[in-house]
Amino acid sequence: MDNHIVEVINVTREVAWLPWAVQYFFLIGLSVGGLLLSLPGYAFARADWRALGRIALLVALTCGLAAPVALLSDLHQPGRFWHFYVVLRPTSWMWWGSIFIPLYVTVLLVYGWACFREELQAHGRVDSRLAALYRLASLGGGRNDALIRAAGLFALAGALLVALYTGAEVAVVKARPLWHTPFLPVQFLLTALAGAAGLVLLLNRFAAGNDRAVEVRANRLLAGVLGGVMLVGALWLALGLFGLDATHAEALGSVAGSEAWRVTAVWAVAATALPFAIAVAKPAGTGLLTGLIALHGAWMFRWTVFIGGQTVPKTGAGFYDYALPAGPEGLLGIVGTAGLWLFLLIALTAILPSPRRPAPAPARAPRAPAGPVAAAE
Amino acid sequence: MDRSRRNFCLGAGATTIGAVTVAAMPAAAAAPGAASPRRDGDPAHRWAMVVDVGKCVGCQACTVACIMENDVPENSFRTIVSTYEVTEQGKAGSYMLPRLCNHCEDPPCIPVCPTGATFQRRDGIVVVDNTVCVGCAYCVQACPYDARFINHETQTADKCTFCVHRVEAGLLPACVETCVGGARIFGDLNDPHSAVATLVREENPKVLKPEQGTQPRVFYLGLDPRFQGKVDGTPTLWRPTSQPHSQKEHA
Ligand code: SF4
Ligand code: SF4
Repeated sequence: MDNHIVEVINVTREVAWLPWAVQYFFLIGLSVGGLLLSLPGYAFARADWRALGRIALLVALTCGLAAPVALLSDLHQPGRFWHFYVVLRPTSWMWWGSIFIPLYVTVLLVYGWACFREELQAHGRVDSRLAALYRLASLGGGRNDALIRAAGLFALAGALLVALYTGAEVAVVKARPLWHTPFLPVQFLLTALAGAAGLVLLLNRFAAGNDRAVEVRANRLLAGVLGGVMLVGALWLALGLFGLDATHAEALGSVAGSEAWRVTAVWAVAATALPFAIAVAKPAGTGLLTGLIALHGAWMFRWTVFIGGQTVPKTGAGFYDYALPAGPEGLLGIVGTAGLWLFLLIALTAILPSPRRPAPAPARAPRAPAGPVAAAE
Repeated sequence: MDRSRRNFCLGAGATTIGAVTVAAMPAAAAAPGAASPRRDGDPAHRWAMVVDVGKCVGCQACTVACIMENDVPENSFRTIVSTYEVTEQGKAGSYMLPRLCNHCEDPPCIPVCPTGATFQRRDGIVVVDNTVCVGCAYCVQACPYDARFINHETQTADKCTFCVHRVEAGLLPACVETCVGGARIFGDLNDPHSAVATLVREENPKVLKPEQGTQPRVFYLGLDPRFQGKVDGTPTLWRPTSQPHSQKEHA
């Protein structure tokens, strides 16, 4: 080409929101998604949603407890976190987040306790050395649907606030065209729901007795949510592609020329379309596969938004390189949060093992129609 | 310039004292929803810089002077002279663009700060109180100019301060003091006789990314529009020493 520019000297800015942030947004999203999926079975006492709701509740609790640790670790001065709480900074979505997160986690714990109270009471009746502890934890009560519903509605409000702030916090950053889109909060929420449904499918297989009815229901849910993800993604692309909206066109323009970003786009489409197709075609027996892909898709979306987004220079030419460091500012952060989550899951399922299906008949009853329904699709 | 600055101070002294007492109250009782109040500094001044791109020889003396003056850690820069090779119809030439914090009139880095560590002084200089900053890097994301970074020695946000400690002592910023070509001109926009005020008034200088609405107070004379926003070109090969070199993609 006749005319071109080569950058000879410029600064490379490193990513300032680390993989810890990816982990945080991933986990808090899964928690919000899990909470939403648990509501029909618990807060609205729908018996047919109860088994799925119990697994979703495990997702909400384990992810919700691990997420704030990841967030704290993303601060470069974590010991100063209390600085958030001695000022009023309503112009900052992050400041609102510092209020919403503890609120959400608190109501989530109360809701979780209210939901599990029935089980705590049952464990308290068993003749074991821990029975007294279980009785203490149940505060001498059992299932109380009114309490569950009230706590559930508060938790729902908390979850919506968290979804709002996590989306808005990133979407308001005008300096990064890729982030500065009203679609982003919607995409965060939808991919979080897909990830949560995916994790429900995985836990159903590994930590909750592999219930066919739950698998089919979660797969159907997943298909519905992934349909939404594709729709919103297509809308975003159309706005950019046809230059209908300047910000979207700019966002697309900032990455369209890059081979790596094109590969990422194809990957994202595959990670959405594939589990969608499988879940629609064969909702029974495929939960492990669709669950894994959906979970991976939710994580990839956040990785691409945060780490990928930060490799687009604001003034410099081309892209910044990113190589995942092995230490706490990189791989160790990812592995560490995953380990913490696993520990929480093991602890929670040890304290509250999935209830053995007392009578095989009612548990199997919903299974029988699952076959023909699946075949019919 | 120094003389005119001192003269202006004399006149503004009385107003300044009044302004301090009045401004202190709303600042302390910042109500929710209120914009971040400016504090510290003398409102009689509005410090600014004009960069005459044509006079920059790309020697990076300012880059080095800033690092020495402000103890900027290795691999980090508060200012740098971006240097480009521009080929037009087969002929190659160089283009130099000194970059620094623009001390914007409407700085997007401030409202996002969850702790109030980043604030604007009443003389327009945007600073970070690194005893308050939690290092959340939200401001780093919000700045459209990649002017901010996390300082790994203090683990807080860092950026150009217009050498506020020198300005308060009546000195010029280190980069201006050292500039070989006289490309960096610093002064008070509130003083109509200052060099910066005259240049801004008469030469119609440009700013970087005007569409962001930040109203930069670092102006450029002779700014080529191709360098006003994100530069469309082949990226630099320079990499922090902590990162391995590898093939970079073309934009
Ligand atoms: S250039 Fe960036 S860091 Fe400086 S005031 Fe403007 S937005 Fe803030
Ligand atoms: S890194 Fe520091 S100055 Fe920047 S937004 Fe966070 S607390 Fe404020």
